[in-house]
Amino acid sequence: MVVTARLRPPDRVVEVADVRRVADLLARLEVLQGAVLVIRDGALLTSQDELHDGDKVEVRFAISGGG
Amino acid sequence: MTATRSRSGSPSAGEGDTVAMRCKRCRGTVVIEVRRHNAAFCRDCFLHYVGQQVTRAIAKYRMAGHTDRLLVAVSGGKDSLALWDLLLELGYQADGLYLSLGIGAYSERSKAVCQEFAAERGATLLVHDLAGEHGYTIPEAAGKGGRSSCGVCGLSKRYVFNRAALDGGYDVVCTGHNLDDEAAVLFGNTLRWDTAAMARQFPVLEATRPGLVKKVKPLYRVAERETAAYCVLKGIDYVVEECPLVAGNTQMRHKETLNQMEEAAPGTKHNFLFGYLDRAAALLKVADDADLTECARCGMTTLAPEDPAAEAVCAFCRSKARLVKPLPIVEVASR
Repeated sequence: MVVTARLRPPDRVVEVADVRRVADLLARLEVLQGAVLVIRDGALLTSQDELHDGDKVEVRFAISGGG
Repeated sequence: MTATRSRSGSPSAGEGDTVAMRCKRCRGTVVIEVRRHNAAFCRDCFLHYVGQQVTRAIAKYRMAGHTDRLLVAVSGGKDSLALWDLLLELGYQADGLYLSLGIGAYSERSKAVCQEFAAERGATLLVHDLAGEHGYTIPEAAGKGGRSSCGVCGLSKRYVFNRAALDGGYDVVCTGHNLDDEAAVLFGNTLRWDTAAMARQFPVLEATRPGLVKKVKPLYRVAERETAAYCVLKGIDYVVEECPLVAGNTQMRHKETLNQMEEAAPGTKHNFLFGYLDRAAALLKVADDADLTECARCGMTTLAPEDPAAEAVCAFCRSKARLVKPLPIVEVASR
C-alpha cells in the first residue's frame, strides 16, 4: 500500500509505502506528532486512525515563528 | 475506531491493549488527542474545551469585560484568527487590526484572508500600512540597525497596535500568543537570564500610564496545534505558509527543542509556563523597577534614560530614524 502525503509548510509531496496508521506515517516521516495535524478529505485524523492504499493526506505543521 | 493505549493512558502504536479511544467529555468519536491533558475529544467537545480555556484565561486575569471595546491584532495566521473568532463567539465587542508589513505576496494574501474573515462575520477590520504610515517595510528593515527582521517586525507591531488602540478609543489590545509562543519566549529569556524581559512576560499587561493600552493574551492556555485544529474544525481559512523572513528564527529553534521534550514527556511546556506564572512571575515583577517616561519624538511611553539629562527616545523612533533617512535639504533660489 502507498499513501501520498503533502507536507506543508513548506509545500512538498512524498509517497510512503507500508504504513498502517497515522502514527506509523509520522514515524516514517520523522515528524513529531505534537507538531502537526494530519488531515484527510478535510477531516482531522488521530495518531491511531488507519490509513488505506491510495490515501492522500496533508501533514500540516502547526509551528509558527515570529516575534 | 480503536486505539492502543499505554499504561499512562496516552495512545501508542503497536503495543499494549487495544481499547476504543473515546471523547473524554461525551464518549463520542475522537478527532484530536490532547496528550498534555491525557485526553481526546470529538469535534464539538474540542471546540468547547478551547472556548473554556479562553474563558478561564480571561476570568483569571480579568482581561476584559463584555462592555469593553477590544482590538484584536490579526495577521491572517491560525492563532489570531482563532482568537478573533472565539472572542466574537463569546460575545465580546472585538474589532480586528491588520498591519501590512510589505512582505510582497505574503502580506497581500494575509490581508485578503483577514478581510474575508471579517466580511463573513460582519466584523470591523482596521487596516494599517507600515510603508504608507512610517516609510519602511520589514524586508527593507531586515538586518539594518542591529535588529533582525523579526525584531523590527515585533517592535513595529507593538507600537502600531498601541497607537491604533489609543486613536480608536479601544480599551484592550488582544494578541494571539499561545502556550507554545509563551513557553518558547520564557525558555529564551531563561537561557539568557533576562529578568527584565521575564518580568514583563505575563498574560496581561495593564495600562499603567496614559499612552499605554492594556494588552492581553487570551490564548496563553491553548497550544498552537490546538489553535490550528480549531481553525480546521471551524472551517477558518488561515495562511498556512510561514513568513518568508522567519527562517533561522531563534523562537522557532526554541519551539523545536521544547517539542522534542514534550514528545518524551507530555505536559512539559504547560508545566514550564504555568509554573513560572504561578510561582515565579510575581517575584520578578516586584524586582522590575523600570522607570517610564514619554518619548520626546512621538509622545508614547518608553523607558527613561539612565542619564536624566539625555533625551528620552523610544525604541520605535530610534529604529525608524535608522531606517528612514530624511530627505536632503535642497536650496531653492528665491526670485
